[in-house]
This record gives sequence, C-alpha cells and structure tokens, in this order.
Amino acid sequence: MTETSTHTLELRQIRKSFGAVDVIHGVDLAIDEGEFVVFVGPSGCGKSTLLRLIAGLDDPTSGDIMLQGKRVNAVPASERGLSMVFQSYALYPHMSVRQNLSFGLENFRMDRTEIARRVDSAAQLLQIDQLLDRRPGQLSGGQRQRVAIGRAIVREPIVFLFDEPLSNLDAELRLQMRVEISNLHDELGNTMIYVTHDQIEAMTMADRIVVLRDGRIEQVGRPLDLYNNPANRFVAGFIGAPQMNFLEGRIERNRLSLDSGLTRDVQLATRGDGRVTLGIRPEAIGVSLDGAGDMQIKVRNFEQLGSVTYIYGAFENGERLTVQLGEQIPLQRNQTIGVTLPSDRFHLFDGESGQALATGP
Amino acid sequence: MSLAAILMMMLGVLWIGGGSVWLLTRRRYKLVQAPSFLMDLVGFPVEYAQSIWGRGGVPYALLLPNMLIFGLFTFVPMILNFYVSFTGGTSILLFNRPWVGLQQYADIFSCETIFEPRTCSNAGFSFWTGMFNTLWFVVIQVPVLCVVALVTALVVNKNIRGRGFWRAMFFYPVMLSPVVIANIWNWVLHRKGVLNEMIGGTRDQLSTMAGMTGFDIVVTVLLAVVLMVVSERALRSSDTPSLAWTAIFGALLALLFGWANPLSLIGLGGSFWLGGALALGLVLIVSSESRLARIAIIAAGILSAALLISIQFDAVFDFGRYRPVNWLVQPNTGWPFFWLVFVFTWSHMGFYMLILLAGLQAIPSDLYEAARMDATRPARAFWRITLPLIMPTLTVVLVLALIRSFQIFDEVYLLTGGGPGRETFMIVQNIYEVAFTNNNKDYGEGAAGSVLMAVVIAVFTFFQLWITRRQSEL
Amino acid sequence: MLNRLGTFLTRTAGNKDTAERFGMADFLAYGYLLLGVLIVLVPVLWTFFSSIKPERAVDSFDTRLLPIAQVQTEIEGIGTKPEWIHEAGGGGARKVFKAGPTRKETDVAPIDAPGDVFKVPRTQLRPSEEIRVATENYLDPLLKRHGQENFTFGIYLFNSIFVTVMATLITLIINAMAAFALSKYRFRGRLTFTILIVATLLIPSSIILVSLFFVVWSFGIFGSLWGVIIPAAATPTGVFLLRQYMLTIPDELLEAARMDAASEWRIFWRIVMPLSLPALSVLAILSVIWRWNDFLWPLIVLISDPEKHTIQLGLTQYAGEFDTDFHYILAMTVVSLIPITLVFVWLQRFITTGIATTGLK
Ligand SMILES: Nc1ncnc2c1ncn2[C@@H]1O[C@H](COP(=O)(O)OP(=O)(O)OP(=O)(O)O)[C@@H](O)[C@H]1O
Ligand SMILES: [Mg+2]
Repeated sequence: MTETSTHTLELRQIRKSFGAVDVIHGVDLAIDEGEFVVFVGPSGCGKSTLLRLIAGLDDPTSGDIMLQGKRVNAVPASERGLSMVFQSYALYPHMSVRQNLSFGLENFRMDRTEIARRVDSAAQLLQIDQLLDRRPGQLSGGQRQRVAIGRAIVREPIVFLFDEPLSNLDAELRLQMRVEISNLHDELGNTMIYVTHDQIEAMTMADRIVVLRDGRIEQVGRPLDLYNNPANRFVAGFIGAPQMNFLEGRIERNRLSLDSGLTRDVQLATRGDGRVTLGIRPEAIGVSLDGAGDMQIKVRNFEQLGSVTYIYGAFENGERLTVQLGEQIPLQRNQTIGVTLPSDRFHLFDGESGQALATGP
Repeated sequence: MSLAAILMMMLGVLWIGGGSVWLLTRRRYKLVQAPSFLMDLVGFPVEYAQSIWGRGGVPYALLLPNMLIFGLFTFVPMILNFYVSFTGGTSILLFNRPWVGLQQYADIFSCETIFEPRTCSNAGFSFWTGMFNTLWFVVIQVPVLCVVALVTALVVNKNIRGRGFWRAMFFYPVMLSPVVIANIWNWVLHRKGVLNEMIGGTRDQLSTMAGMTGFDIVVTVLLAVVLMVVSERALRSSDTPSLAWTAIFGALLALLFGWANPLSLIGLGGSFWLGGALALGLVLIVSSESRLARIAIIAAGILSAALLISIQFDAVFDFGRYRPVNWLVQPNTGWPFFWLVFVFTWSHMGFYMLILLAGLQAIPSDLYEAARMDATRPARAFWRITLPLIMPTLTVVLVLALIRSFQIFDEVYLLTGGGPGRETFMIVQNIYEVAFTNNNKDYGEGAAGSVLMAVVIAVFTFFQLWITRRQSEL
Repeated sequence: MLNRLGTFLTRTAGNKDTAERFGMADFLAYGYLLLGVLIVLVPVLWTFFSSIKPERAVDSFDTRLLPIAQVQTEIEGIGTKPEWIHEAGGGGARKVFKAGPTRKETDVAPIDAPGDVFKVPRTQLRPSEEIRVATENYLDPLLKRHGQENFTFGIYLFNSIFVTVMATLITLIINAMAAFALSKYRFRGRLTFTILIVATLLIPSSIILVSLFFVVWSFGIFGSLWGVIIPAAATPTGVFLLRQYMLTIPDELLEAARMDAASEWRIFWRIVMPLSLPALSVLAILSVIWRWNDFLWPLIVLISDPEKHTIQLGLTQYAGEFDTDFHYILAMTVVSLIPITLVFVWLQRFITTGIATTGLK
C-alpha cells in the first residue's frame, strides 16, 4: 500500500464500528480538486459518519484517509485544513455573527487586518454584511445557514464538508440555498463534499454522486450516468422520482418473459438463463386509451398536474406500474388502458443480486 | 384546647362527614371502589368547588391549601416580623407586648461605630459580630463553593470512566445531616484526632529523612531533574504551552518555594503561599493563551533554578516537632473559620456540582465539534464557549449558594458553637440565641435582627444579580 | 519495544494512529477525582471504623484502623483485669496483670499464678491485644444497658419517620395540586399566584424564625410534631418543579378525560398524578432529605420535650450530655447515617440524575 495519492482526497478501505456495530464496511473513494461530490443514501446508511471520519471528528477503525497525497489518520481535525457546515449549524449562540466568523481564525493567531478582510469578503459574498453585529438567535433560519457557511468559507479550506445543511429549511428557502451553494462552488472553485438524503439535491448540485447503502458504496458517477445506467436495482430505485417500475420475470434463451405476460427478445452480453427484474422509467412508457399496445393495465389512481400526468395502474397479476406522461389525457378510475414498453429503455437486473445486466450482442 | 385544634376538629367533621354524605348521595360506589371513594373524599373540596362554580372555581380550590400554608407560615410571619421588632418585653402573647417603636433597632445601632462591635451595646455587639462574621464567611464561602463545584463538574463532565460513580460520590455528603457531619468532623479534627496524627506522623518521617546525610543533595538534584522534565513538557506541545503540565510545574514550584523559603531572607513567613500565588498566576497566564505564556514559564524555570541553588547554600532541614493543633478550639489561628469553610464546602458542593453538570450537558456537543474543526485549544474553548454558556446556570448557583451560606447555622452551632470566643459566631445563631435560648427571651430584638439580615441578603442578592446580569442574557 | 508497550498501556481508545495517550490532562483529572473521593469517604469511613472500637481505644485516640482491644481476663478471686505481656530480658514473655497502681516499678502477677507478685519496670510491659468488634457501643444505647437510658433511639426514629413521611405526603399532594392549577388552567390571578410563589422562593426561612414561632405558637402546634410538619409543607421549589413537568403533559389528554365526564379532581388524581411520577419522585426524595436532616426549626419547636425529639435532636442532645463518651456518640452517629446511606446506595443513580435534570433546590 503506497502512502501517496494524487487526488485531493482519497479514502482507502475505510471501516468504522461503534463498539460491536459495524457502520462503514470498507469504503474506497477518490475525489479530485474542485469537484462537488454529493453523498446520498437513505437515513442511517452512514453518510454523516463517513463525513465525520473525513473531518477527523471520529477515527476510522481501519483504512487510510489521504488528503493532498498525505495520510492524515493521525492528524487532528483542526490541522487537516477542512471546514464543516453542521446540520444544526452549531453557531456559538453568545457571539455576534462577526465573532462567530472570526473565532476560528483567531485560534490560528492570524493578523487582525487579515481576519477582518476575510470576514468582510465572506460576508459580502453571502450577503450577510448587514447582520454582522447580530447574535444567531436574532437571525432567520436561512440567515443562520449563511453564517454557518460563512464560517466555513473564512477558513479557506482545502475541502468544504456539508452535513445536510438544508434539512432545517422550508421548501422554498431550500431551493434558493441550493442554487446559492452551487453558485458558491462555481465562484470559489473549492472541493466540496455534501451529504444529503434528498436525491433531488444530489441530482441538481453534484458533479459526482456517491450512493451509499448500509455503509457501502453502491455506485459513484455523474448524475445522469446514475440515472441512465444504474449499477443495480437499489440505485435505480433510489435515483429518479417517481420511482422506476420494477417487473419480475425470467429469461430463457434470450427471451424475456414477464410474470405479467409480456414476452420480448433481449440480447444479454454475459448471462444465461434465470430470474430477472425488468426496470423501466415511468416516462419511457407509452399509453393508448383504446387499450392497444404491448399490455393492458387497469387505472387505479391518477394525478393530473397539467404539464404532467401520473397514472398508477396495475397488471392483472397485481404488479404495479407507474406511468408519466407529458400531456393531458382524459382518464377514469378502473379504466383499462394499453401501454407500450420500448425495449431500448429496458434496464435488466439480476433476480437475486440485483446487479445490472448489460444488454447487447 | 387550642384554637387550632378546635378549628381542625370542625374542619375534619365537615370534610369527612359532609364529604361522605355529599359523595354518597351523588355517586354510586361499589365496595371494590373504596380506594377511589377515599381519594374522592380527599379531594372533596375540589369536587364541591366544581359543582358550585363549575370548572372556573377548580384552580382556586386546588391552590387553596398551598396558599393557605404559604400565607400563614411565610407571608404572615414576614409582616409579623416587622411588628414584633417594634415591640418589647418577653411575652409570647402578641397583645401583651408593649410597643417600643424603633427601640430594638436603636439598641442594635447604639455603637460608636458599627465596624467595631466592641464599642456597641450588648445587643449591638452580638449582632454586629455575627453580621461581620457572616459577611466574611459569605465572601469567602461563595466563591470557594462555586469554583470547587465548577471544577468538579468540568472534570466529571470530561470523557471519563465511571462518571456515575464519581458523581454519586461527590453528592453523597449532601445527603448527610448536619448533626452527623458535625460529629464526623469533630472526631476527625479533635486535638488527638486522626488528622493531627497523620500530619505529625508525616512530619516526623520527613524530619528523620531530612536528618540523613546527603538528603539535601539528592532531593535537590531530583527536584531539578523533575522540574526540567516538566517544564520541557510544558513548553514542547505545538505552539502554546500545555496547561496540564504547567499545573504540575506550578505545584512543584510552590513546594520549592515552601522549602527554599526565600521570604525568610527579609524576615517573613508564608513563602509557600507566595509560591502558590505565583503558580496560580502562571497557570492563568497559560490558560489565557497570552503571548507571554512561554516567557513566563521560562522565567519561572530560571527562578526555580535560583531557588534550588539557594537551598544548596542554606541547607536547614528542621521541620521541628509537631505540636497538635486543636483545630476547632484554638483562638486567633483562623483554623476554626477555615474548617468551617472546608466542612461547608465538603457537605454542599455536590449539590451545586449536579446543577452545573446539568448545565454543562445542555451545551450542544456540536459546538465543541465546530470548535475542534477551528483548532480551538481547550483553555480557549473553556473561556470563550463553556463559561459564557454556563453563565445562566452559574448565576443560579451563585444566588442559591449566597442565600444558603448567609443562613449558615447548623454546622457552626454543632462544630464550634460560635467559638472560640466569637470567631465563628454567625448571624442566625445570634437570632436563635437572642430569641430562644437566653433566660429572658428577647423576641423583639431577634425580630429586629431578622429584618436587618433580610435587608442585607436582599442587597447582596440584587448586587450579585446586577453584576452577572450582562453575562446571563443570551 | 518498551516504547510500544508504553503506548499500548496508556492509550485510551481508538485505533493505533489517533489514540491519544493517557495524557497529563487525564492524569490530573483522575487524580483530582480520586483525591476528592478520598476527602469525602475517609472521614465517614474513619468514623465507622472508630465506632466499632472498644471504649479504651476510642478514649486513647488509637489511630490504628482495626478495632484492637486489650484482652480482659477473669482471674479467680480478683476479678476481671486487663492482660499485659511482660518481656524480660531473656526473650521470654509472660502474660501478667497489674497487681497494684502503675508506677515506674509496677507490681504485677502472672495470670496463671495470681499469687506471685513481683516488680517490673513499666517499660517492660506491653498490653496483650486482640481484635474485637465492640458491639456494646451500639447495643448499650439501643438496648438501654449500662446506664445508657438517655438515647431513646426507638422514639427518635419513630418521630423522625413520622415527620418525614407525613411532611412528604402532604408536600406531594398540595404542591401537585397547586402545580396542576398553575400549569393546566387559565384563570384570573394566575400570574399573581405565580409571582407570590416566586417570592416565597426568595424568602430565606431563617429570617422569619421569630415571627413563625409566634404563628405556630398561636395555632397551638408549638411543641408538637405538627409544628415541624405543617409550616414547611408547601415548598415553592416543589411547585415549580412539578409545574415545569406538568406543562409537558398534553392538554388533549385532559380534554379526552373531560369528554369521558371525569371530574376535575379525578383528572388530577387519575391522569395528571400518574403521568408526573418522575417529577413527583424527585420531589419526594428532596423532601425526605430536607425533613430527615432538618435541624434548626425542630430545635426551636421540639427541644423542650425529649419525647418529641427527632433523631437529629436526640443525637445532638446525647452528644452534648456525654461529651466524653465518644464511643457511644460515634456509634449512634453511624446508626443515624446508615439508613440514609442505604437509601442513597440503592437510589443513587435515580437521585443524582433526577436532581440534575430538574436542577433546582
Ligand atoms: N456514536 C454512535 N454510536 C453508535 N452508533 C452510531 C453512532 N453514530 C452513528 N451510529 C449509527 O451509525 C449508523 C449511521 O449513522 P449516520 O449518522 O452516519 O447516518 P446518516 O446516513 O447520516 O443518516 P441521516 O440521513 O439520518 O443523518 C446509524 O445506524 C447509527 O445508528
Ligand atoms: Mg446524518
């Protein structure tokens, strides 16, 4: 194992257990200069833990953390040159905004003028220069959020760490801050690691997304790669809303036959026969009101949003199917409609392991 | 039969008799519901109030017993105190007591100057002695109590093993009664008690050791080495000196001062305390992270080297024979007062520690994590984060400790009885003795003393709240 | 190698890279705790060990830990005598007893031959000792033997228990009633009542001693146990502690009970009281400590009638009367210390966390 690395941040075989509970099971990851990386995954999957390991607030049970080519396992949090925005902001309640921003810099015995310069420029960047003399208790949620980010900025860190920074904000503000953090990234150009369990945040902000489940990385990739080529059933289901449809079936001699009745020829690159799951995105499915198409579904429920229509239907064998249409159509409950499933939008997953199966010759 | 007894009897008949009738005519109870019936009977006045005035009357009925007791046994006495302080004589019957106006206060104030209780009348003498002793006690006791409680709470709040055990141990003396505490410490502090025995034994051993040849050289070299190691340790850690090592260094320095006794050159004692003060200053400088910290440690190192050398030239090791001190009885030594403060701290500290501990645990841990990310050193985190955030709790503790130590009675009365002479004679003891134990019980004077004491406590409490008002607003 | 061993032995937690050594700060912390616990425990334990020493050892301030007593032997025709060991020069030792007064040359006689009186230098005599637990220190006052009739422990214990239990019961019920009114009803004068209670919190009990005496006397409960129980039954602390807790009980519960046609008293008794059990038990513990240890007020009210003394008063009177009988005083001190210690050991976690979380006195 070499002790060097050319990436800004590299994790090698990181494991973490709290007592007898294993939380992180061997994570490998490399992050390059200037990237905006989002960790996403269901609640309790270990995102925060991973972030705290990187920050140095917790120690990994085993594995190496490399920062700018150097192993930093033994380096205390304060000397790693990272800064972190906490989910609850962790602003010092008894200090003014200005003191909150300068407190960390004073610890490094920085020059007063330099501190003032950094605080002012950060305040300007985040538009909190009017608030510098207030206490955190006198700020709104969004303003507190900015102060917390400001406190991270003034440190001029190698990497910014965000732990679900927007989860305490209401929906509208969340949208606004999302855009602002993205702009901030463009402006500063620093490496950022951002933890969220909201896949929309992940899709909109990330250069690369890391999908975690139960302390393991399921897939790493650019947002659209994850959307278009999910590595397994979990990622396919996690990314995209409404969720991808999953239909059970089996393959025999390159012929896919679904339990709901459809049969189709498919070309599998590697695998022979066995049970598979077919995944298909709701927007890939076509609809005909007169019942023509590959199969019929019974409309159980539907939502007309104007620009989009969601149809929630079921096959005769009970399997559910969600369809998303970019137009308005007249619908009734319990009506039977026809659906077309285009082969080129199929995602096939192994029935047992859930791994994606490559199609093609 | 007394007034109260008759009243109680009537009330009892009405409550139990009337209540039973009222309840039984309105509700059906099965035999198994007897407990439920009993509880309803206890709450009969509330039930009755509800039936007459509806739900609006219930809160008043609920508050009645508490308010009755508060009123009769707290507020009425408050007012009555003023009245009694304006009356004289020894009668217990209020209407038999002659009105004397401000005479009682005049007695207490009949001094040439109240700051010299000896120049007062008898009443004034014991009152002002008690008052000044108490003020002196409070001024020392409150800071000592709060600092010890805070330090203990901070240590217990650290990431230590067996926190519950330590916490319980420090709380244990709070559970003990003053009588038990006084008996225990009387026994320990007796002239032939175990404390004197221990001190004497240690001193004799030291004397024998010091008598051996070469002892001074060995000890000097040893001390020099230890001091070097410790100061090096203190200076080594990254960019500010380590506080813990500085503390050790300070303790050694104080010891060295006591031993080398530099003040004896100008004919004074108390070198050890000078050393202690210097050590404390050193620790404070280091904890405040001033730029002088390094220089201060180096200076202290040079000073200690000089002291060590001075010992070489002036090697007198005679600790002398130990004459047991009668801790609680010997006058003009300050020991009785010291032990009073010590025992009071011993027996009350645990309670204030618990409150402070709760305050410390209420500080969100992510503040400390944020501080860690910002490379905040522990001492700075204490001064800039912990202390400001614990300030509201600390204010509560200060006020409680103030009121509590102003009222000190049990411990003194049982340990020293106010002696030797009147060195530990406290104000509550004055009130108690004037009003209840003297042959002609002077309730008027006791009441006047109480009123004055209430005034002083009120002034002190407001003063303290006023000082801490800025820190406690958040 | 040695270095490694040192690291291994002193590291506190975590893996090998970041484990902090058991540093000076930890050392100081544990040192402080240990010293503190010694200061707390040693006097108490010393008192206990002293209390099981025989009278002579206590009177001569024997500072050995174990209860060592001089052997007493029954000698025919002479009576019970303390036994000494005579060490003559030749190395032989004989058990002897003193046949006359102690002088420089003392008359002694061997135990096995009481007739042979001979003179030995005082310095050659050494007491013959055995380890014996002096149960008589405890049993004499408790069983009223050997002239120890004054410590009527049974009566004191009964009085103390009576005062403590009654006062605690009354305190609990009326404080809970007041707290219920202040926390769950809106009515005119609520603020006034609250302020009144705060005011009583700030009135130290010792400044109303004299006039409280007048009030209690005119009610005719002076000199009776009720004179101790009633004045202190309403505690502002208790009201606040309970009120704070009851505020957290949802109003819907009470509304639901009202829909079920429960009377207000029933609601209090059947719903509010059981739900406030944690706060009630903290108050109960506090009240028990207060009443059990109460000294000044009982001293004023009950001192004239020995039949009414509580344990604390009895113990003081006893200690005052027998200023020299330290062995009995110590034993009775231990007796009155044992119940509270047992309660504490049994409930300590509960007590400390309870008081810490409610944080008031
Ligand atoms: N100090 C700890 N001791 C024991 N287990 C812990 C500790 N901290 C976290 N865990 C466990 O580790 C797992 C991962 O926790 P983590 O906080 O990383 O989840 P997360 O992905 O951030 O979830 P969320 O989205 O809800 O914040 C959880 O199952 C949690 O119970
Ligand atoms: Mg999390």
